[in-house]
Amino acid sequence: MKWLRSAICLSIGINFALEAQDTLDKVRQLERRGDALAARTLLARAAQDSGSAADLLHYAEFLDRYGDAGCRAVYEKALSALERSGDRQRQASIQRRLLELDLIAGNRESAARRVEAYRSLGGKAESWRPAPPPDAQHLVTVPGPMRSFGRMAALSTDLKPEEVMEALARNVVTNGYQASHSNEALEQTEYLKLVHRYLSQARELEKLAGPSRTIRIETCESPAAGELLRILGYRMRGGCGSEVVLETVNATRAFLTTDSGFPLAELEQDLRTNRPFVYDFSPTKIPILYPQDYLIGSKEKQEGEFIDIFLSDPSLCRLYLGLSKLEPATAEELRKALPVQRLRAFAHVLDFYGAMFRIRDGKAVTTGGPRAREAWAELVGVSPDQGVQFFERLIMKDDGWMASYFDALSRLKGPVHDYLTEPNRMKRFYAAIRGKVTSPGPARPVFRSNADMMLLTTRLRLGPDGKPHIPGSLEVWRGLFVNHPHGKYDGKLTRIAATWKDPDDVLEALFALCRKSVENEPLKIFMALSDLDRNREKPLAPATVDRLAREYRFFGAQYAIFNDGPAVSDATILQFLDTAQAINKIRDQLLRADAAGTMQALVGMWQIFSRQGVLAPAESDAVLSNILAGFAKIGDDRELFDSGRGGVRVLLKATRSRDDATPQEHLIDLLAGVERPSDVESHNLVVQEMMRILEAQRVVSLNTLFELADHLEAISRGERMNTALVNRLAGRIAEIQLPRASLSSVERNAIAFGYWTEKHIDEQRRVNLRAVIARAAGDAEKLKSARGLLTPFLRDTLVALNYAHYAPPGAQVLYTNPLFVRGHDFLGLSGSPQTWRSTELFGTGWPSNGGGRLVGSLSGLPYALAEAEQNFLVPSQTQALIWGDLVPHMILSAKIPRWWKVTPAQTHWVGLHLRYGQKLLAQAAFDPAAHKQVMEVLETQAQPRRAQTVSELLSHGEVAAALEKVTPSELFLLASDAAPRQPAPGDPCLAEIRRLGAEVPGEVNEKAISRAFGTPKPTLANSYRPELLNLRVFPALMGYSSRIMAESWESNTLYWAALADEVHVPPSQLNVRIPEWTQQLIERIFASNLEDWPAVLRSLRMVGDDVRAKLKLQVEAEQKVSLN
Amino acid sequence: MLGTWVCARAQEGQRPVFRVKVDMVVLSFTVTDSKGRYINGLKPSDFRILEDGIVQKVATFAEGNRPGVQILDDGSTRPLIGSPSVPPSAKEALGGDAVVGTNVFILFDTSNFMYRGFVYAEDAIADFVRGLDRADSVAVYTFSRNLSRASALTRERGEAIQGLRKAVAGDDTALYNSLLLTLRDAAKVPGRKVVIVFSNGPDNASTVAPDDVRSVAEDEGIPIYVISTNEVNKDAVSSGVFRRITTRTGGKAYWAKTWQKQVEAFESIREDLGNSYTVTYYPAPNPNEGFRKITVEIASDVAKKYRVRARPGYRPRGGF
Repeated sequence: MKWLRSAICLSIGINFALEAQDTLDKVRQLERRGDALAARTLLARAAQDSGSAADLLHYAEFLDRYGDAGCRAVYEKALSALERSGDRQRQASIQRRLLELDLIAGNRESAARRVEAYRSLGGKAESWRPAPPPDAQHLVTVPGPMRSFGRMAALSTDLKPEEVMEALARNVVTNGYQASHSNEALEQTEYLKLVHRYLSQARELEKLAGPSRTIRIETCESPAAGELLRILGYRMRGGCGSEVVLETVNATRAFLTTDSGFPLAELEQDLRTNRPFVYDFSPTKIPILYPQDYLIGSKEKQEGEFIDIFLSDPSLCRLYLGLSKLEPATAEELRKALPVQRLRAFAHVLDFYGAMFRIRDGKAVTTGGPRAREAWAELVGVSPDQGVQFFERLIMKDDGWMASYFDALSRLKGPVHDYLTEPNRMKRFYAAIRGKVTSPGPARPVFRSNADMMLLTTRLRLGPDGKPHIPGSLEVWRGLFVNHPHGKYDGKLTRIAATWKDPDDVLEALFALCRKSVENEPLKIFMALSDLDRNREKPLAPATVDRLAREYRFFGAQYAIFNDGPAVSDATILQFLDTAQAINKIRDQLLRADAAGTMQALVGMWQIFSRQGVLAPAESDAVLSNILAGFAKIGDDRELFDSGRGGVRVLLKATRSRDDATPQEHLIDLLAGVERPSDVESHNLVVQEMMRILEAQRVVSLNTLFELADHLEAISRGERMNTALVNRLAGRIAEIQLPRASLSSVERNAIAFGYWTEKHIDEQRRVNLRAVIARAAGDAEKLKSARGLLTPFLRDTLVALNYAHYAPPGAQVLYTNPLFVRGHDFLGLSGSPQTWRSTELFGTGWPSNGGGRLVGSLSGLPYALAEAEQNFLVPSQTQALIWGDLVPHMILSAKIPRWWKVTPAQTHWVGLHLRYGQKLLAQAAFDPAAHKQVMEVLETQAQPRRAQTVSELLSHGEVAAALEKVTPSELFLLASDAAPRQPAPGDPCLAEIRRLGAEVPGEVNEKAISRAFGTPKPTLANSYRPELLNLRVFPALMGYSSRIMAESWESNTLYWAALADEVHVPPSQLNVRIPEWTQQLIERIFASNLEDWPAVLRSLRMVGDDVRAKLKLQVEAEQKVSLN
Repeated sequence: MLGTWVCARAQEGQRPVFRVKVDMVVLSFTVTDSKGRYINGLKPSDFRILEDGIVQKVATFAEGNRPGVQILDDGSTRPLIGSPSVPPSAKEALGGDAVVGTNVFILFDTSNFMYRGFVYAEDAIADFVRGLDRADSVAVYTFSRNLSRASALTRERGEAIQGLRKAVAGDDTALYNSLLLTLRDAAKVPGRKVVIVFSNGPDNASTVAPDDVRSVAEDEGIPIYVISTNEVNKDAVSSGVFRRITTRTGGKAYWAKTWQKQVEAFESIREDLGNSYTVTYYPAPNPNEGFRKITVEIASDVAKKYRVRARPGYRPRGGF
């Protein structure tokens, strides 16, 4: 019987195993279909029913893979089950995972217990070092609460104490001083004057508060009440009692009171009810990096409190900023060795270009490895082995040019880094940058002025031969510099260009031009054409490059279009330029504007369909060429109508329009997503939004326009007029409002634009098709020509479809201004044609005109629309800074990608990587090898100061605090780098990464993920095609390149993807959810200055927490229902 | 106007089509004599409401902050509160069963242009809030480049004043953008509502035009009052705009540079609110899908010399 029992047990065991395998297979299938919630329920049920260690573990690992905090409890249950079985190895593995989860959650006490348990099971874990106690000596005292000081000094309340002085210094340097009207000295701005006045008022209040540091007003009649009100600048109206009202008596003081957020309403209420008013007025202690004695001399110290001296001395603030930027250990070395006056003199250089400095064992860490050290020694004049002296000389050299060069090269990695740090090249290119006259240095302006150098070094590409990729050929560039079409770029470069023989010659010229303070056109051409080649299988032919380079000034803004269809041939690109030139030659201004608008709108749709993969790459070239063909020669509006309609037909045919779909339906369906969506509800939401916009803009549908055109044709053949159809157009025309052009004379002089736009609208309002048909009196030719009257309507409908596709969340302008689309000015100012320039927003803040309108081509439409919308966002904090360049970019990054083709495996892939990245950081806290690995990757992304802080925090076991300083894109990169190098996967996230990598390599390879979750980079990469570039986040740079800073931030979409994965939001909803989440993200950003990236991170996480809290409750409720 | 978006599926192609059903029009107006004194105590039967000349059947009627009444078919009235036969939308339009009074949205300009008079303006607004009828609710919004909802709609005066006192001085002025957002918020609230703008006038950051914003107010039936802290002749452009947006929405514009004048302006608005009549009606069939002109006629002979101030009309939202 024993064998029978064994056989039964074996059979049951096999059955259980088979059942478990069956469950896991089902789970995989459900996940693959995107139904993670059902998969979760299945595992939960299995774990609940059997209670076996294996089922519990499967469930725990599933939750862990999705970042669900509930996994901890299930792991604990599995651990208990395993304890009974005596499987120590698996117990250790779970204890280790729980230890990591404790560290990630910041639960140090539990982690301390867990590490012991882990060790007792044979696990190895280093102990973390205790964090050093804060140094009480390095504190600055500010009177009154931090909240009030922060309001006056424009500091975010989210700042950590140790971040306050740096943010304050930045505000003083950028906003605190301005050129004096009377002499050369700087004078304080109103901002800084108010901060000083506030401090003075706060000291008076502090005095009133007395030793208890509490303002206490016992009764309305008490003398202290009078004194308090005097300081605050208010008085009581009406006697004490229920009628008492506070009113201003001293406007200056009252302004400070209210602006600093003194609880005036509470005071008034307490006076009215005769209750004691109690207000804690303890001074604020703010940490500073170094002792006050180091930063200010004894003479200065006599001039008052440190905070006053600090605010009054912009050079001291700059010094503080410079020292803050440095890696702490390096700063300490410099501080010890150099007199403070020395550092102060070059603080501006340290501030902008000191972030990459590192001294190790007394030696400067230089980029380029051992071979470049000698070149650095030669360039700087001091050996890097003398770390302090090296950096001292570096910041002094050439008014900051050397330091900016060091900074730019230190940010590089990979082959370009190796190429540019070859010693001879390093010296050669620096000589080009330096030139003969070094002033003004790149650290002199308010923002870094070496934007072009950073762009060139970061975006340079090497060809297969290991040499820089020069678009076209050397000959093209030689010709461009020698026979420059629009005046010399540089006299010297023009002379020597004839002798160029090597790609480095071109590069040298581009480096030299980085010094120019005027627009650096050659660099822009170089970058634009390099980016075109980057995405193409076959580089552009030299002749094409030559023409594109020469016509860059006129058509350069259009080149990014071709990046959305990399298969476009050279011939079609040239055809585009020919067509644009042909349109420019149309003499009739209205016809020209209509031709440009119609053609650009059709190309815009081609661009969208190519970008989203609706058009197959093999077809995209022919489609674009066929669209353009219609516009090669436009003689009148009838021809233009036919060309526009022809273009629509080309698009419909290429996108395989259904027979039963009307043109407008089909195009809207495609612009809103895919034609046959899997998630009809989400698709309809987008369709509805687009249709509301079209309705708000009163555009005539394509269907009506084409029916009318056909009907005119039919009437010319003798058919009777379809009154209903003609009336439909007439009804729409009646809704078109009069253009609001009542500009005041001041406005008219200042912005004399819009004349042709008004004519365009007027022309439409005058159309009376019925009368035209009557006048034609059956004349077939006249009737056929009448369709030309529909041309302006066709233009507006096609343009409106582009607008609707890119409409930002909220779209207040589009919903409110019914002439916004019709008002698009394709011509611009006379004498300065803007037909082919990037889209710009004009006319904001002019109360008597028709509101803002867009001018120029449609090439920058997504950004311009986002820019128009950004002031409609409502910050959650009254003082929150909405960044001019950052916000539009974030908005367009949430709209352009659309995520139509993202699969559940892809969102899970990103989620897994972010969670695995967190695990690696947790592991680094107790595993020295992991620590080293993490820091190696992090140092390629984060500046040394932040990298060192993270390293320190990890050494102290402060993983949660370290994670706060690591961006989602860094976590993703960290995991991407580590995952393939890890041995056998013991981690559920890693195991799943491997499994997905093997099962669906086409969905989760680097290119596919970059395409799915990257961001558009119109400035940085001349393309709206989303991609991940994994660059370090750029600092704030001068000029147009401040957009680059925003474009280098790639964390949002990765974070949203991981969030969607975590809360089981299907990818089909990303289209709707990400714009919503992004709007919330922007509204919650509370930043102190332009480089306050941590504020974005904080906001990102806040929105994530909110979404989690809401959606997880739903998930849990649904699961509960399913389990019962 | 209370409108409902209806999403229907057209027969061909099964795609969403949008149509608008105009549920009800809410119309507030004041009646004054030749000397500008408010005329109170008029009855529903004293008025005739016309839309494009078509006489409308009034559904409900209210004077000032007093509870509204339902107008029955025979012309008699019945208290709105507790009346089971009044359609919910009509009750809602007048604030529901329990709610009477006006929802007052104060939009306070805290931009650079207001820097000098900032604190005095705050005092004047605080006084106005304190003096509002107990039945009224008030929201305080502030703006410079962006809008800030300092205090949500509340009947607690202390809350509103607390929000007001937390205002922070800002930089650029996007008056019309912020006014638009305020109107959008106000439109979501049932009952009678007004927006009071307190501003210096100039706008240097809005992307929407004042007249487009005015259209929204007109269509939603929300009167706009403006208190400008500038002199009427100082900024002719803004003054003209203020006049247009207030007159066309049934509100009023005041130029009050001094604190005293500001207090007077607020007093005048308060009187306006307390002395206005509010009627609701379901528009009679009208083929006009564009701007519909509203006329309020006083039927009684004795009152023929009275002057009625109401919004001139509205535009029903069209179909697609």
